[in-house]
Amino acid sequence: MSVAQPPGLRPVAVNLLGVVEHPELGGTPYRVDGDGRSYVPTGDGGIVLGPRLGESVFAWDADHAAPGACLVHPDQAARHALAAYSCIGNPVVVRTGHAAGARGAVLGQRGEQGRVIAWLAPEDLARLRPSDQVAVRACGQGWRPPGFPAEVTLMNLDPAALDVLPVTVADLDGSVTAGVRTTLPSKLAGNGIGRPSVSWDLDLQLRPPARAEGADPAAGEPVPAELVLGDLVAVSDLDVRYNMGYRRGWLTVGVVVHGASPMPGHGPGITPILTGPGDVLRARPDGAAHAGLTEHALRRLTAAGVELQ
Amino acid sequence: MRVGSNATRLVSQVLAGEVWPALADRHGFRVGPDGQPFSLPGMGGVTLGVHCGDPATGYASDHLEPGASVRHRDPDANMALQFLTCVGNQVRVESGPAAGAVGHVIGQHAYVLVDFAGADMGGITTGDQVTVTATGQGLALADHPAVTVKNCSPGLLADLPGGTRDDGRLEVHVAAMVPAEAVGAGAGMVSEYANTDLMGAYAGLGEDLSLGLEGLRIGDIVALQDSDHRYGRGYRPGYLTIGVISTGQCMLFGHGPGPSSLLSGPAGAFHVVRDPDANLASWLHQGQEWSR
Repeated sequence: MSVAQPPGLRPVAVNLLGVVEHPELGGTPYRVDGDGRSYVPTGDGGIVLGPRLGESVFAWDADHAAPGACLVHPDQAARHALAAYSCIGNPVVVRTGHAAGARGAVLGQRGEQGRVIAWLAPEDLARLRPSDQVAVRACGQGWRPPGFPAEVTLMNLDPAALDVLPVTVADLDGSVTAGVRTTLPSKLAGNGIGRPSVSWDLDLQLRPPARAEGADPAAGEPVPAELVLGDLVAVSDLDVRYNMGYRRGWLTVGVVVHGASPMPGHGPGITPILTGPGDVLRARPDGAAHAGLTEHALRRLTAAGVELQ
Repeated sequence: MRVGSNATRLVSQVLAGEVWPALADRHGFRVGPDGQPFSLPGMGGVTLGVHCGDPATGYASDHLEPGASVRHRDPDANMALQFLTCVGNQVRVESGPAAGAVGHVIGQHAYVLVDFAGADMGGITTGDQVTVTATGQGLALADHPAVTVKNCSPGLLADLPGGTRDDGRLEVHVAAMVPAEAVGAGAGMVSEYANTDLMGAYAGLGEDLSLGLEGLRIGDIVALQDSDHRYGRGYRPGYLTIGVISTGQCMLFGHGPGPSSLLSGPAGAFHVVRDPDANLASWLHQGQEWSR
């Protein structure tokens, strides 16, 4: 049972300030991919134009590219708080610059020093500039939906966002079922393992089909047929109530918030939303019929956020 | 290890480091696998009483770093110290009552970790200056082009049992095999910095957490299955990474005793021999009095 979520407590919302990130590179532009080839990383943070929810995580030749803009804060402690308290579906509004007034929603977060991925309509995203200020109405950490079984922990999710995702509580046995694209084994968990789930995403070590040509499916190397940005994905034998780590028999469900990476130990990243023992939290692989977090759903949440202001 | 290499072509660099203090913050507690709060020593400073050959776990400690934990005060110089220092490199104490004492690098963990004889260790503390004679990065095995060497001094390579076999494979002796499921924090990082925490080595915790690794010792040579550390650290079926356990007990979930990477390549390039004596204690510090 989670000690972080006693039942019956009402969530509070906090207005936070995010600043649109500028990408950063060191004095050497190169990174090295899993086969030893050097590359210059593009799309790793800041404002990324091109990728859209619903597109394959391998659709763009980029590194950790997210469909939106990354928000940070110049004070490191405030930046950690921004990443820890922001939740998927939280309303955001641009306060300065050419896109001032534009509204969107939090798509997820990324780790290390902490980043929040803000989704905006493409026409608004294109008017954004690094250092623009974006207000985030952070709400959701510590929230327990009524009727939710005590064994399942919910995190990183705005209370309004649960309704737009394929997650249901069964009346008969009180179990939670999430519709997912697929379930992956915990040995694919890469960067993010051992880190706190409220402020890091978890990279899944999936290689793009084109680069997996040397892969040997017989040896267990997965060659994903389809995985798109916004998908719900389950990871078996993983407990992410606090730090993320191996626990036999557990299940974790997350939303795919950024695309693939050529770096070894990295890959498409999920922001975790559900974790619990496998007999109470279940994944229903929907395959090609799966619909996770979509642009349509985020537009609905954004419209609802306007009413809250 | 009976193996051809470019060891005679490698230079040494003299590096400076400082025994770094243990660090904490005002909140004190971190959380364990079931949310248990803990505040435990082990990382930074000089951790006494745990040497190569001793059990890695079973201590009231978190991220136990045996011996002295060393950094450089300047961030860029520190990265040079962390990247260039290799397991087996010699370290000399330059200041304080233990000045003149000589120990050996047993791994990296965002610090260079140095094991000294127990009698010397008692005289070392935070702020003491040390000199590292760094050599080993760039080491290559002439007859094993598929195998990449990392963080391994030529002296350690010579000490390791095994070597080139008649069938062309590289024989390595390991004390334990580690399944891919055990790889925790450290995945996705470069192979020349810090180490790979292993989960499922949390002694005394539930069966749901165990991956059968509770018997690891500091200094054990281990084989990580389905791990490719040639260009960073990632999961790759059919690859093998050989490492040395350089850190011990952890309470933080997703963390654990960890190997620093030494050799990595396709599993077929190796012939692995299970050998309980495959531990740094079998080769380092021979001939010195090694009191506990």
